[in-house]
Amino acid sequence: MNKIFYSPRIIASIVFVMFGLIIAAVPKNTTTPFKLTAEQILNEIKSGTQYVDAEMIAQMIVEKDPSLQLIDLRPESEFQKYSLEGAINIPIDNLLSPAYYDILNQGVMTNVFYSNGSTRANEAWMLVRQLGYQNNYVLSGGLNYWFETIMNPQAPSATSPDDEFAKYDFRKAASQALGGGAVISAEPTSSTSKAIPKPKPQGKKQAVKGGCS
Amino acid sequence: MGPLVVNEIISENTNLLLAFFIGIGFGFVLEQAGFSSSRKLAGVFYGYDTVVLKVFFTGAITAMIGLLFFSLFGWIDLSIVYVNETYLWSAIVGGVIMGAGFIMGGYCPGTSFCGAAIGKIDAYIFILGLFIGVFIFGEGFNLFEPLFMAEFMGYPRLSEFFGLTEGITALLVIVAAVIMFWIGEWAEKKFPREEY
Repeated sequence: MNKIFYSPRIIASIVFVMFGLIIAAVPKNTTTPFKLTAEQILNEIKSGTQYVDAEMIAQMIVEKDPSLQLIDLRPESEFQKYSLEGAINIPIDNLLSPAYYDILNQGVMTNVFYSNGSTRANEAWMLVRQLGYQNNYVLSGGLNYWFETIMNPQAPSATSPDDEFAKYDFRKAASQALGGGAVISAEPTSSTSKAIPKPKPQGKKQAVKGGCS
Repeated sequence: MGPLVVNEIISENTNLLLAFFIGIGFGFVLEQAGFSSSRKLAGVFYGYDTVVLKVFFTGAITAMIGLLFFSLFGWIDLSIVYVNETYLWSAIVGGVIMGAGFIMGGYCPGTSFCGAAIGKIDAYIFILGLFIGVFIFGEGFNLFEPLFMAEFMGYPRLSEFFGLTEGITALLVIVAAVIMFWIGEWAEKKFPREEY
């Protein structure tokens, strides 16, 4: 009798059943394990990987890059007055609403947050980054910088290096393509009000879902 | 933390490299356990040797317990672990065809390569047949497609299907496995075969 009890197959069976009993007794783990630590986020902030240049965005808009998804974080009233071409409005208060989950957490589109400055966009970016979402970026300098550089580019001084002029030419061209203010403007802020293109009605785009199947 | 690839802890390429080494280990263990012998493999259908049943089911319940405990400790997010789609009819018909091939040929696809690795001629013939089957399926896919795609059930897990918690399902599967092992050993005594 004793011999049967201590045979390896009996012991193995008992061990398996015991593991089964434990796993049946404990509640299911519902925590979301994947989160970046504070240090990891800090490192990303220090290296500034989340920023995208206004020039790059301008080029993507002009080229109608299908992977670009601009996300306007300002309140809806401001969004109605003016928004970048193709942008959708997600007021930062509603950022975590389930309706936007598919847009923010996906692997296909390049999401670029913007606001008037870059503080709010950065806050939104930190939130979604901490949740482990990928492909979210921040428009460097926000709309203010956008108007200064893309919509009303300033001619560089005659002594500037060559690439400053190249940048200026590009901005000038982008400004024209995007319906910016006067081609050569003396005052940085004078044309912002009259240069506003009509806001287009924006249907909410459904981001393509990623996955491996 | 896990799954490692989905959370970009390791790259797609590292994943393939790991799969390569795990594959070699798997083949080595199969060979060591005698799975390159077609008589041993066919034995499970005649009842004189149920080692195949025992080994594969032990592997399954070990992995199941491991994953559930990993999930409990927060090491893996089971909600994003890939689960094969279930197309009910193609699973049933495919299972019957595979079982018939298993009895007749004495190998399953994995073990046939084990047998081939140590130079068994019947394993080479089996692999040839395997490729013929793949060719016929590929060429006749239009013909088979309605059956292949029929009764798509999504990505069901046993626990969702029965409406039980994962832990209870795991316990039931373990108990079922132990009962099956017991029946298997009983069959080995009941239908003994001297040399195979």
